[in-house]
Amino acid sequence: MAKKIKTNPNAGEIRDGIHYHQHDVVIVGAGGAGMRAAIESAPQASTAVITKLYPTRSHTGAAQGGMAAALANVEEDNNEWHTYDTVKGGDYLVDQDAAEILTREAIDAVLDLENMGLPFNRTPEGKIDQRRFGGHTRDHGKAPVRRACYAADRTGHMILQTLYQNCVKHGVNFFNEFYALDLVMTEVDGVQRVSGVVAYDLSTGDIHVFQGKSVIFATGGFGKIFKTTSNAHTLTGDGVGIIWRKGLPLEDMEFYQFHPTGLAGLGILLTEGARGEGAILRNASGERFMERYAPTIKDLAPRDIVARSMVQEVLDGRGAGPNKDYVFLDCTHLGEDVLENKLPDITEFARTYLGVDPVTEPVPVYPTAHYAMGGIPTNNDAEVLADNDTVVPGLYAAGECACVSVHGANRLGTNSLLDINVFGKRAGNNAVTYAKTAEFIDLPANPAQGVIGMLDELRASDGTENVAAIRKDLQDTMDMNAQVFRTEETLTKATEVIAGLRERYKNVAVHDRGKRFNTDLLEAVELGFLLDLAEVLVACALNRKESRGGHMRDDYPDRDDATYLKHTMAYLAGDPHSSVATDHIRLDWKPVRLGTYEPKARKY
Amino acid sequence: MTIDNPNYAYPARSSNRKGPNLDKIGWVFMRASGVVLIVLIFGHLFYNLIWTEGGIQAITFGFVAGKWADPFWMWWDVIMLWLAFIHGSNGMRTVINDYVHKEGIRKVLIGAVVVAAAVLIILGTLITFTFDPCPAGADPELLPSFCATL
Amino acid sequence: MSDAAVAEAGEVIVEEEAPKSFTVTLNIRRFDPEVDDEPRWVDYDVEMFPTERILDALHRIKWEQDSTLTFRRSCAHGICGSDAMRINGKNRLACKALVKDFDISKPIYVEAIKGLPLEKDLIVDMEPFFDSFREIQPFLQATSKPEKERHQTVEQRARFDDTTKCILCAACTTSCPVFWTDGQYFGPAAIVNAHRFIFDSRDEASQVRLDILNDREGVWRCRTTFNCTDACPRGIQVTKAIAEVKQAMISGVKL
Repeated sequence: MAKKIKTNPNAGEIRDGIHYHQHDVVIVGAGGAGMRAAIESAPQASTAVITKLYPTRSHTGAAQGGMAAALANVEEDNNEWHTYDTVKGGDYLVDQDAAEILTREAIDAVLDLENMGLPFNRTPEGKIDQRRFGGHTRDHGKAPVRRACYAADRTGHMILQTLYQNCVKHGVNFFNEFYALDLVMTEVDGVQRVSGVVAYDLSTGDIHVFQGKSVIFATGGFGKIFKTTSNAHTLTGDGVGIIWRKGLPLEDMEFYQFHPTGLAGLGILLTEGARGEGAILRNASGERFMERYAPTIKDLAPRDIVARSMVQEVLDGRGAGPNKDYVFLDCTHLGEDVLENKLPDITEFARTYLGVDPVTEPVPVYPTAHYAMGGIPTNNDAEVLADNDTVVPGLYAAGECACVSVHGANRLGTNSLLDINVFGKRAGNNAVTYAKTAEFIDLPANPAQGVIGMLDELRASDGTENVAAIRKDLQDTMDMNAQVFRTEETLTKATEVIAGLRERYKNVAVHDRGKRFNTDLLEAVELGFLLDLAEVLVACALNRKESRGGHMRDDYPDRDDATYLKHTMAYLAGDPHSSVATDHIRLDWKPVRLGTYEPKARKY
Repeated sequence: MTIDNPNYAYPARSSNRKGPNLDKIGWVFMRASGVVLIVLIFGHLFYNLIWTEGGIQAITFGFVAGKWADPFWMWWDVIMLWLAFIHGSNGMRTVINDYVHKEGIRKVLIGAVVVAAAVLIILGTLITFTFDPCPAGADPELLPSFCATL
Repeated sequence: MSDAAVAEAGEVIVEEEAPKSFTVTLNIRRFDPEVDDEPRWVDYDVEMFPTERILDALHRIKWEQDSTLTFRRSCAHGICGSDAMRINGKNRLACKALVKDFDISKPIYVEAIKGLPLEKDLIVDMEPFFDSFREIQPFLQATSKPEKERHQTVEQRARFDDTTKCILCAACTTSCPVFWTDGQYFGPAAIVNAHRFIFDSRDEASQVRLDILNDREGVWRCRTTFNCTDACPRGIQVTKAIAEVKQAMISGVKL
């Protein structure tokens, strides 16, 4: 092959070995939310997208079932019903004005995607087809409704591809395999203002500083704190961790969603769309147990309820398999046609990874860590909050890393693909509007000092602790103690284990001392973020002595609206490296914005 | 057609092509000539080896000369010659395109293939059409029977 | 399906013995650009269960034996397209290659995909691959501004369904012998993505893409060796898609 000459148009201006770039809008993350934002901002202002993966590798692509919008293409529906379902699904911890925005703008979000080229499945009339999904009902809970717009069981894949295609169309400037490691803030008149982002170029090991008028975080989740998860290996919560270390708060971190149908033992996602198409959960004796837990909508109850019911079946000894540790997803009555045409990918996953053919056999499934409802608090304009009311000017967040909060204590299936499109678009628009009138804020003297110090320390470390071993212990303890069912005892145990792991992390070993593609170094950095976020999650979970949505306290099994109908706000207040959670985590509350829907007992 | 993609910044690597599209013509020619060659070659083989009494043993100067006395077979063989050489040399051209990336060497090699094919096609054509079935002074045993009547 | 069958399936699983682990030897072609002049083969023994994936083996090596081993991976179930590599001479996703499908009495050879510049160990420079993708104008081009969605019949949607599955993992392009010798060839993946729009009834720029691919480096280079179809982890009929693009160029009609 002809010798390739490396010319990097994205080298920036090099001073003291550090690359400096200047863009009006700097977006961190190229999943659904990041690229949706880029499509808004790139045509209007100089935009850089920093992404640790090639954009098409983002985990948006793993979403399967659909994207909710009350198009009413196949049956009567409206966005008010959708809002109600979202609020009730989130166990009333949803900020109701935000949910209204989400469901109202859902319709345009879907049409935008269609117009951008997304190949949705079609109705016989040629319109976008819709299917049923958990928690989405007609007329306030009367029966399941067909609301999820979908493309087979590859809706996320199609969204990711379509957004990337449109980024190519708009010539969006991507910095692929650049790991954002710090947010740069400059003090102006005694106030901390956002001035840029520090990133690490995986291919060269060089440090790049991106000065931006506005910065959007769209960095996704942190499912890798758990062992059994549908999340990618790269979902290590770097963005959320950066915000945390900057002293900005995190909201509702205790609310983590466990998706009911992960492939048993592996955690690979099998879409809720399967149950939307009619699949049924059964225990070892073949009983359709969801009839007992949610008599009206049965298998299409929200995920928190279904996941809890499944775990309860297993705890009660009705699990299947040699260790009685899973239940079955029975798709056999759907027929080969539906499975091959509407659910082809999950059919293949079951065949490939478990050797089970869903056409003829029920598939072993068990809940898998899936989605963080909490994250970086934002208002409805995707502006990041520094406390309950104050926005950080020029800083935006969208997608799973953000907490608007439209998902409350439990997200409904298909609302996350909606979230990234609605709030990704809002973040992009608002960031570019802000950048049009704002000035660049000067970078501090050595903006990359902290990052370089951290990396040099890790790279030169003569530590003895293995990154993978610490991570495995973290994941084991999180699965054991902070999963679907939690108690004071298990959470205290998790706190202790995490404290020990944080201590061990100070002595972590990095063996690859090279500059180029040093994934060993980056795994150590990512582990640091995982430890921080797990610690915060457990601290918030300990603090909420009630059961609500995805947060189930066995020792406090009831919802307690009088005390806890409010968002948790966690602040870093002390030494970020300390291994004792209580000496650097300060917990506070933020009121829930209620609206039309008064909190009621949650029955399905 | 006007399509709004003002910022799309990836011009195709080969948009500056001029003149006829040799690659497309070549691709179509290969398939068409391939089909025709199958008929021509198998027709040739069947006629010479199976339908002629005596099979391969019967193929002599006299046999060929007798065949070429008929314009039908003359044209059959000429078309077969042309198509086979063009088909084969175009195949060589694509192999060279695949494996030779230095423009100069590539041109020289393709030139050599073209020259070789052209020379052989011209020679073959000349021989077919200027062929003398009854050269003077040859042993009549070896010549086609109609030479005796001349 | 009946409850009895569910119970029966449960029992079948009960009867199975716990699977045994065994030692698998992986022979990995390693290259550290800061040290090595040439790539070198290194072998590693790992304990594996039959249902585990080659990606698990690579992780076990990286996490337990040699953390300098470098490869890309993300989703680990065949959706993100990060971990295309050449395993026993065949392009696959490491996360979709199960150990039980290999003859483990011999080492399993793992190397980077061919035809793209090798960066480190199993990582190659993906930019030339994405350049080809970007050049075929891979986005819907339609002038009409509908009030709601553009309509498309079920049949029109099905026409290009196969090629919408592409995850841009490069397994096809880097299995193509034409691409190995001529890195300028657009390659199967770019053609597949062009196909996805050429045959989309909503798109109006089919002819533009056909013109781009109607070239010395375009579809006519395809030798129909079917390596790409064999390599595709998504089961896309790549060679067929290329043939359909050729056909559209000859006939000038979308079929």
